[in-house]
Amino acid sequence: MRPSLYIGLRFTVSRKRSLLFSLLGVIFGVAFYIVLQAQTQGFEQYFIKTILGTSGAIVVSDRYQNRYTTFDNAQGGTVMSGQQRRKYYEGITDAAEIMRVARQFPNVLACAPLVQGNITARGDFQTEIMTVQGIDLELQLRATALRDQIIAGNLNDFRVNPSGLMLGSLLADKLQLKVGDNVTLLGNGGERKAMTLSAVFRSGVNAIDERRGYVTTRVAQALLEKPSMISQIIVTLRDPDRAPAMSMHFERLFGHRARSWQEREQGNLQVFSTLRISAAITVSLIIMLAGALIFNTLTMTVLDKVREIAILRSMGYRRLDITVVFVFQGFIIATLGSILGAGFGALLTYGISQIPIKVRGVLYADRFLVAWDVHHYIYAAIIAFFAVLTASYFPARRAANLAPVDILRGSGQ
Amino acid sequence: MNHPMETDDALPLECENLERFLGQEEARVHVLRGVSLALQRGYTHAVVGPSGCGKSSLLYILGLLDRPDAGQLAIGGRPVAGLRDDELSRQRNELLGFIFQFHFLLQDFTALENIMIPMRQLGRWNEPTMRDRAAHLLDAVGLGNKLHRPSRHLSGGEQQRVAIARALANDPEVILADEPTGNLYTANSTRVFTLLTELVRRENKALLLVTHNPAIASACDWVLTMSDGQIVEQQYNPRDRESDKSDHVGE
Repeated sequence: MRPSLYIGLRFTVSRKRSLLFSLLGVIFGVAFYIVLQAQTQGFEQYFIKTILGTSGAIVVSDRYQNRYTTFDNAQGGTVMSGQQRRKYYEGITDAAEIMRVARQFPNVLACAPLVQGNITARGDFQTEIMTVQGIDLELQLRATALRDQIIAGNLNDFRVNPSGLMLGSLLADKLQLKVGDNVTLLGNGGERKAMTLSAVFRSGVNAIDERRGYVTTRVAQALLEKPSMISQIIVTLRDPDRAPAMSMHFERLFGHRARSWQEREQGNLQVFSTLRISAAITVSLIIMLAGALIFNTLTMTVLDKVREIAILRSMGYRRLDITVVFVFQGFIIATLGSILGAGFGALLTYGISQIPIKVRGVLYADRFLVAWDVHHYIYAAIIAFFAVLTASYFPARRAANLAPVDILRGSGQ
Repeated sequence: MNHPMETDDALPLECENLERFLGQEEARVHVLRGVSLALQRGYTHAVVGPSGCGKSSLLYILGLLDRPDAGQLAIGGRPVAGLRDDELSRQRNELLGFIFQFHFLLQDFTALENIMIPMRQLGRWNEPTMRDRAAHLLDAVGLGNKLHRPSRHLSGGEQQRVAIARALANDPEVILADEPTGNLYTANSTRVFTLLTELVRRENKALLLVTHNPAIASACDWVLTMSDGQIVEQQYNPRDRESDKSDHVGE
């Protein structure tokens, strides 16, 4: 072992109380960072996963037409001026062709067409306004997480029964329906269909679970009196983070409105983003506090060891060696603190994930949602190393720049 | 072109016209006023003089712990002026052994480990060799039975003997000592001085020690008397170097 590392190690372990205080600062800083990230990202990731599993990364909807102002100029020609608001036409023109082209993109995993509108559902006891989506079940299963969202009944009943209906869990509760019950769906134009509840799903997003129901495309088209209409195409991506760029491209390519999940859920995502920033500020303060503690501890160590520093210099240790002695103490604290802090953080995260909590607002959850992500641990360690090594460097430099002769002149027993 | 002090059979340490000022403005003191000396291999040199005459300042400059404001210093015939701090550190480690009045051991280390600290920096020997060598040196200063005792648990005299063993750890050419026996009882003082003297003569090294003890000074081969920042007298004590055991030192 390099002599300065050996001495640094011995200096560190010889001051057990200082080491303990510094270590505790780093351990708590690292652990809190991990726990806060796990919590905020737990809810956020659950929300994103649900959104992607329910409505896809991109939703292609109404066709649009750009509109321009034209006027005649002095030379007798026609000039196009600034673009005005687009004009939208409800529904998708040639959905099959759009899906065929979309599937050519390597990032596109699956596409599913659907027709959507508002109708009334009437059970034996209750009547509710609902959003009906007419789906092609096989394509829908490929593009969404519907299969995993079924909590009662089964998909096969829906598949084989043309009058099959699937309802969101909260909507089914409101209508007081269970699987096998009959429901009457009433279109706004007076169209009426007698349906059977084949399955109940829970997406986890309340706004969906309390309003949405699935029927076959033909039934929905009949209820909404929009024969052969397709309202939307759900597009699932391999890399959902690229959805904003791809949706812009799709919009230009297909001449239809295309909205990424980030755009659709901007409001909710902003809440999560604010929470994450708030957590980051809290954690930064904790880690800064730990850094200040270590700075203080190492400065005290330097003051305590000035005579030893002078002795080491008199024995031929260079300024660099003295710097290494003290920075290495910071390195030991950062390493031990990161390892122990990561373990403590993981333990806390697990403990928090076991806390039973009924979330019934934007999301549906029965316990605290946490995200297990190795990046949280890596970032926590990076921040800890940065804070601790910075806090160690200045006392170390101070130690290295001490003139040994000044210390020796002023030292006595 | 060689430096004027550079010769084939170079002196282990020599200086010419060293000047040193300490303090600022009104408090500025001229502590060394043109000090010149040359240490010879195999000889012991004592610097004596009243407190504040510049003995310790001279020792720190000769030990490369401080730089003179003027004058020249050479170790092994090579001038040290203008050398970078890292090179001065290397020379301190390899060529010089320093003994302080107040032992200055590293309190968190055992006696053995304290002696191995300069050896580790030198990097000349492996771990077992360093251990053997450190144990041998401690044995020579009478602490062979306290190798693994933390230095803070040693008495003042024992700590000073460890410090002396540490100064010899890297087999230096020159040993500089600032009142090395000042804190020792007579018996230990004699033992330590005898050890140093024998080592100097046997290994052909040079010893320069600052002392207020007239008995120790008179037992050295050369006595340099300082006053007001100058060497005012150099006295050679011829003796039978083979039979002299300096038994009277410290009495």
